Amino acid sequence: MKTPILEMKHIRKTFASTVALGDVDLNVYPGEIRGLIGENGSGKSTISSIAAGMQKADSGEMRYHGDSWNPVSMIDALSKGIGMIVQESGTIQGVSVAENLFLGETKQFPGPFGTIDRKAMNAKADEALQAIGVKNVSGATPMGALDFQTRKLVEIAKVVMKDPEILVVDETTTALSQEGRSILYTLMKKLRDEGKAVLFISHDLDEIMEVCDTLTVLRDGAIIRHFTKDEFDADAIRTSMIGRELQGDYYRSDYTPSHLEEVAVKAEHISLGEALQDVSITVYKGEIVGIGGLSHCGMHPLGKILFGAVKPDSGEVVTGDGVKVTSETVAMKQAFGYVSKDRDVESLSLTASIRDNIAIAGMEKYAVNNFLMLNSREKVYVDKQISDLSIKCADRDQAVSQLSGGNKQKVVFGKWIGRGSEVLILDCPTRGVDIGVKRAMYQLMTELKNEGKSIVMISEEMPELMGMSDRLIIMKDGRITHEFARSTSLSDAEIIQYMI
Amino acid sequence: MDNEAILRKYKRRQRLIDILPVVALAALFAILVATVQSKGYRLDMYLKIVFNEGVVLAVVATGAVFIYTLGSFDISLGASTLFSATLGVMTYNATQSLPLMILVIFGVAVGCSLLSSVLASVFHIPVFVTTVAMMSVLSAIAAQIITTNGGAVGGISIPSALVKPLDNMGFKIAVLAVFWLICFFVFDFTKIGRKQKFLGGNPVCAQLTGIQVNKYAIIAFVMAGIGVGLGAFLTLVYTPSVTATTAGSIGMNIVVAIVFGGMPISGGPRSRIYSALVGGFSYILLNNILKLLIDSNIGYGVSQIVSAVFFLAVVYVTGLNYRSQMLPR
Amino acid sequence: MKKALALILALVMVLALAACGSSAPAANNDAPAADSGKTVKIGVLVSDVSGEEALGFRAYYENYIAKNYNVEFTYTEQLEDAAAEKAAIEKFAAQGYDAILSLAASDRTTQIETCEANGLYYAVVSGMLDDAQFEQFKSNEHFVGQIGPSMDTEFEAGYAMGKYFADQGAKTVGIYGAFIPNPMHVYRTAGVLAGLGCTYGGASDKDGIAGQLFGDQGVDMSKVQCGDTQIIGYFQGFGDTTFDELFAIIGQQPDAFLSVGMATTFFADSLNGANIPYSDIDSFTSGNAANMADGTLVYLAGKYSSSIGPIFAATLNAVNGNPIRDAQGNALSISQGYLVATDSETFDNIFNGDKGDSPIFSKDLLDTVIGAVSYDDFVSLVESK
Repeated sequence: MKTPILEMKHIRKTFASTVALGDVDLNVYPGEIRGLIGENGSGKSTISSIAAGMQKADSGEMRYHGDSWNPVSMIDALSKGIGMIVQESGTIQGVSVAENLFLGETKQFPGPFGTIDRKAMNAKADEALQAIGVKNVSGATPMGALDFQTRKLVEIAKVVMKDPEILVVDETTTALSQEGRSILYTLMKKLRDEGKAVLFISHDLDEIMEVCDTLTVLRDGAIIRHFTKDEFDADAIRTSMIGRELQGDYYRSDYTPSHLEEVAVKAEHISLGEALQDVSITVYKGEIVGIGGLSHCGMHPLGKILFGAVKPDSGEVVTGDGVKVTSETVAMKQAFGYVSKDRDVESLSLTASIRDNIAIAGMEKYAVNNFLMLNSREKVYVDKQISDLSIKCADRDQAVSQLSGGNKQKVVFGKWIGRGSEVLILDCPTRGVDIGVKRAMYQLMTELKNEGKSIVMISEEMPELMGMSDRLIIMKDGRITHEFARSTSLSDAEIIQYMI
Repeated sequence: MDNEAILRKYKRRQRLIDILPVVALAALFAILVATVQSKGYRLDMYLKIVFNEGVVLAVVATGAVFIYTLGSFDISLGASTLFSATLGVMTYNATQSLPLMILVIFGVAVGCSLLSSVLASVFHIPVFVTTVAMMSVLSAIAAQIITTNGGAVGGISIPSALVKPLDNMGFKIAVLAVFWLICFFVFDFTKIGRKQKFLGGNPVCAQLTGIQVNKYAIIAFVMAGIGVGLGAFLTLVYTPSVTATTAGSIGMNIVVAIVFGGMPISGGPRSRIYSALVGGFSYILLNNILKLLIDSNIGYGVSQIVSAVFFLAVVYVTGLNYRSQMLPR
Repeated sequence: MKKALALILALVMVLALAACGSSAPAANNDAPAADSGKTVKIGVLVSDVSGEEALGFRAYYENYIAKNYNVEFTYTEQLEDAAAEKAAIEKFAAQGYDAILSLAASDRTTQIETCEANGLYYAVVSGMLDDAQFEQFKSNEHFVGQIGPSMDTEFEAGYAMGKYFADQGAKTVGIYGAFIPNPMHVYRTAGVLAGLGCTYGGASDKDGIAGQLFGDQGVDMSKVQCGDTQIIGYFQGFGDTTFDELFAIIGQQPDAFLSVGMATTFFADSLNGANIPYSDIDSFTSGNAANMADGTLVYLAGKYSSSIGPIFAATLNAVNGNPIRDAQGNALSISQGYLVATDSETFDNIFNGDKGDSPIFSKDLLDTVIGAVSYDDFVSLVESK
């Protein structure tokens, strides 16, 4: 047995009356990628953030290479050997990539008269980015010009260039597309092969089984079980995460594509700049249409176009009744709903309450004469969504910012389902959601389909696309490359060849 | 997973912060009464003065809440109060018609407000920017009109007997009450108010929920314009003259009033229509208390400094409110 | 939570302090009448809290008059508009004040009406009502009157200045119009133009020129027609380009630079340095004494701090039941001109004669008009200085 790089013993952490971690021991060994998995609130993020200096344990002991380990901050921890890439963190938009990378350390590039030698700094930044496999971004690029995924990669570079012994990756992959993920996986493997260690936190069971060497399952602030690679088994892991056997099916149980006769919405010859070239799709009532591809294949803008939120350069979106969808307002009149990939920015008002977020889309459902808003009627409307979707919350007036990712997403669903949406455009609906909620969402989608509603599910996750869609449309470089009908015989490999 | 205790605590604090502005108003009122009594001054007169000072601010700020709710900002409200009062006085002096004067005051006030918001939406610039421009333009034009027509007196005026009958508490309270109730209804009981609050919280999400940003911005500016019109009219009722400095302090006082009323300056879902009313009167009460307690001969500005400190304290406390507290995952 | 509690606590404490701390006896609101044992309380409305002249006035009232008479002066903060003036008067009334002396001019009509409604005596300390206003209020018993430069006086002060330089044979002059459209500066500038022998838009009289200056919001050089003395440059206000405009004039080396206000504050160094003779309407201060002795200030018209003594005396008389009214029972209206110094000796005489403890309007002098005095005696005292 190798000696661990980091030993954590009897770690306890409570938030007010909530026990986040109760007496947890965890060792991290050189040359391993250790997965941490568990539902929201299981303590997986808490334990890793304590190791990385983001917060302090109430009690317990940590040793790093045998010495006592008490980092005062994340920066302190990083400089001493443990770096963390966090789920939601910030890069500064107004400045360049290089300035973000060397934030607070620009003094190492002295120019004349106390200025900064930008050329040297940018060169060093390019080097750091290339070292992790990011080729097409230069240090001089303004941060704001990058998309979400690339910004995330810059954050990764920022941590990795400090050459940490232990790299903590917390839910980072939910922000990344396939390409981004493969960059990250390569990096993680490289660290492992150099005898360093990676702590990898994810909701995604398939991903974690693929990438990790060992796996630790947490539940309710305690470690439930460690798995070695040869013990990996999806059902066993799920069971230990949830603490009970999962009842029923995860995805749809049937394997026959089906839909009603009537067309729900039709997109015809849609083009949008570089992103989309002459894309046409038809969605029928009672149908789940999956759209898959790499992150830049154009499927995300297509979702917005279907909802009228983005005007295509050419082509149009028409409902089955012949109404042209030219704006969000028209789309909503036609009972369309849109769940964005960027949930916290585009689907929810975080400072508002659950009630505000659900009620805002459904006011015409309960306003008297479509005008007068009464508290009593609104409460009934909102409470129905909270109970139908089993949203875990203190009450309807709780701010959504306080909810877990899964419950936030349930609020978004409640907002659209409550008003009786007939066509739901779901862009990465299960992003950052734990498997319990995921499963509930899949069941809900199946129910909606059976009620004759139409669902367009845009996703970067193969299993859910295959598991849920009646029809699976694959896109690449702004065009549709193939269409698969639902079947048991679909395989990842077959689909991926149309994506890349 | 049981976070109930934290939530209970959080909610308790939120409720407390929600009622804090009202408690502060009541406390300030009590302090004023006690101070005036103990100094042997005429309480009835003092209350009237405080009301007169506060009513214009409360009316204009209540209209302005609609703009602040959107997370927007209108710096030109003082200038448009001056401008509409100016044109109102000019209209009366040209036509001798009171109804026409009132019509012009409201028309101009709403018109200025609309112009700010329409310009902003046409040119796709933040409405704050257009209001900065409006402020300069309106006060310059008003000053030009006033100095050209005011001559040696330095101001223009309507005959003081014209609106004197209206210079009483009953009329002003009625105006304030009616306007406030209308705003309250629109803000809390119609789709308009609800959509504006949502829009202020997250405009991107609002747009993707079918809320037309421009439409609700324009409605907000119209409401504010009505408030400005009323404010200009009440200003003339109190003093029938207009000088280039009339209503000069209103613009900034609105911000103070709204903050004192416990509303986040960034607007959004925690906006409250009563903020302007409560905050406006609190601010006026505070100023008067400070002037009574601090000997003016100590030096100019002492009471301003104290009230600035108070302002920062209020911002800090209300800040606790919307600095979102994340629960541990 | 704790902070909120602390705030409430603090408020309660302030409340308690306010309630218990004040041991001031309840002042009664009765008229002070002739009872000389009672302090007369006078509120002073101010719109300028920092100018040389305003500070001089304040020092005279607070440091000299208040020490020598049983009166108490309370100054307001800077009053920005008519509403603030009205509220200030109402507060003085609520506090049982006896009289208001006004240095604020946003809306004098409302000031007088408010004083009347609250039973306060009222006097204009600086500046004067316009003729129509005076007609309206002259018989009002609460209106004590006004002593100061009227717009006529302002015009005359400017006229005398212009004429002085014309008589001296100045061929080229630059003019600074200060803060036109401030009426005081408009009339002074109109006077300067007339005094220099110029016409403006064809007009050469006070109202003709001033009326056009109000309309033009300044001096439109294309409307100026001059005789022997040419105006080579004019500017007003104070902003980013002010000094560029000044230097453009200095560069032409005029025979004189005429200012109707503030030049000694803004431009003294530049003008002294360029050796350009200049004039201003300001006050008698040590800075100006130096400008005249060592610099190139050649003409200064100004008020002196104790010039506001007589209006105080008249107000005190009114409060004590000895109002001074003319034969028709009208309020006082005495035009008080500016003193002019064109050499250091004259300047120093005025300056030294009005020092803090020995002002021109000293207690001895004021005592001659306090009590039951006749209108004529009063006027002759004011006009004697």
